[in-house]
Amino acid sequence: MSRNSFSIFLSLKLSFLIFLTGKILRFIFFISFLFFILQGTKTLAGYTSNQAIFFFLTFNLVDVMAQFLFREAYRFRPLVVSGDFDLILVKPVNALFRVLMGGADVLDLITIPPIIFAVYYVGRLLSPTTAHTVLFLLLIINGLLIATAFHIAVLALGIITLEVDHTIMIYRDITNLGRFPVDIYKQPLQGILTYLIPVGIMVTLPAKALMGLVTPWGIVSSFVLGIVAIILSLRFWSFALTKYSSASS
Amino acid sequence: MKKYLSVFKISFAQEFAYRLNFIMWRVRNVMQIILVFFLWDTVFSNPGRVLFGYDRAKILTYVFGIMIVKSLVLSARAADVAGDIYRGDIMNHLLKPMSYFKFWFTRDISSKALNLLFAVGEFAFLFIILRPPFFLQTDLLALFGFFLSIALAIFIYFNLLFMTSSIPFWAPELGWGSHFLITAIVIEFLSGSLFPIDILPLTIQKILFISPFPYLIFFPIQVYLGRISGSVLLGGLAISLFWAITLWLVMNFIWNKGLRAYQASGR
Repeated sequence: MSRNSFSIFLSLKLSFLIFLTGKILRFIFFISFLFFILQGTKTLAGYTSNQAIFFFLTFNLVDVMAQFLFREAYRFRPLVVSGDFDLILVKPVNALFRVLMGGADVLDLITIPPIIFAVYYVGRLLSPTTAHTVLFLLLIINGLLIATAFHIAVLALGIITLEVDHTIMIYRDITNLGRFPVDIYKQPLQGILTYLIPVGIMVTLPAKALMGLVTPWGIVSSFVLGIVAIILSLRFWSFALTKYSSASS
Repeated sequence: MKKYLSVFKISFAQEFAYRLNFIMWRVRNVMQIILVFFLWDTVFSNPGRVLFGYDRAKILTYVFGIMIVKSLVLSARAADVAGDIYRGDIMNHLLKPMSYFKFWFTRDISSKALNLLFAVGEFAFLFIILRPPFFLQTDLLALFGFFLSIALAIFIYFNLLFMTSSIPFWAPELGWGSHFLITAIVIEFLSGSLFPIDILPLTIQKILFISPFPYLIFFPIQVYLGRISGSVLLGGLAISLFWAITLWLVMNFIWNKGLRAYQASGR
């Protein structure tokens, strides 16, 4: 499925090049902006320049990996509206897997390696211990688990309300607030971004773990939240399937 | 004139036909402002701090100014022209006794009116919640310069949008891609709608000020803040005017070339 998705995108060479340039430019503009601010301020919310840049890179890593894996979710609405989702339901492949991960994004596949390298390079400058590095990796996986739960919930909501595009863009906008450590936000926004819409747990906490700034309670609760989120989203998906009316088919 | 007034009314009503679409677009704008606001709020957490020539009141006024200026300058419907071209719908318009440019400019004005209405509401809402220090400009000359620079920015942006939307005349598959690159990335960053351009190194600033982009958002807000005045203000307005005229001529040239190359596919 992913190979087909790559082939389709690569066949539109100029379009592919434009989107790739756009994504790279956006990254360069943002990191330059952060770099120039930090040149003037030296710190951001008590974090050093390298730490602030590491937060930004961790956000990008989780965000780009989620987009790479779940790009197919962006194409779900037409399937439900047209009734073509029927054709997926009758096939001998898990329907959720098909609509969630059935069309990986080749653009993000290209941008992931440089981001991983940047995370590795800036992460090393923070001199983490082995335990902190392992925690960082585990919390990144946990962050992706929460991102998966979000996407499943958006798909389920799409079946019920026929609305996917906006909810997924709202999700993207909320996660964008994690470009910088959630510590910069004042309460109650900071609390909302940590517990209710756990952007902080998805992107800020892994970076903090590498810096050795996370308590054991914080780590345990974030893993619990990740597991609970995925269980709830799967239940929501099962519930949404019972509401699918196969309209227009 | 009457027909354009009707276009204005219909466009205004049309925005309400896709209410969720419009509300989500506004929500996204608010999210972006929240991100930028808290970032600068953190940087200027010490009230006496002066950085990049800004104090706390001026930088937070810049952030709030983005909301209003963006709704006036960057809210536009002319991006849909690309779709008109690659779907072939443009043929319907070209056959009508109406200027295609004026039609879309009227639609843009309608979109700006509606967005401004919402932006003022959001401005008041966020202002009450966040209670930022705010710089109120009282100098009439600065305010006149501010409105004049916005009028020129609207015209510059209209030309830039039309030029970008003309790409599907030659490459129909690039309609959305070209807007993503030029409108969503290049203009968004280089216009100053995320951060003030003058935090960048001087060399980059000098290069940027030759381009039309800073005159869309950054320049009008600087005029409002009183950071640009006198001969520098006149110079900036002259450059804006130069870009407005040049881009209008270039856009007309591209448009006419495009119409000749157009094959009316889909019709």
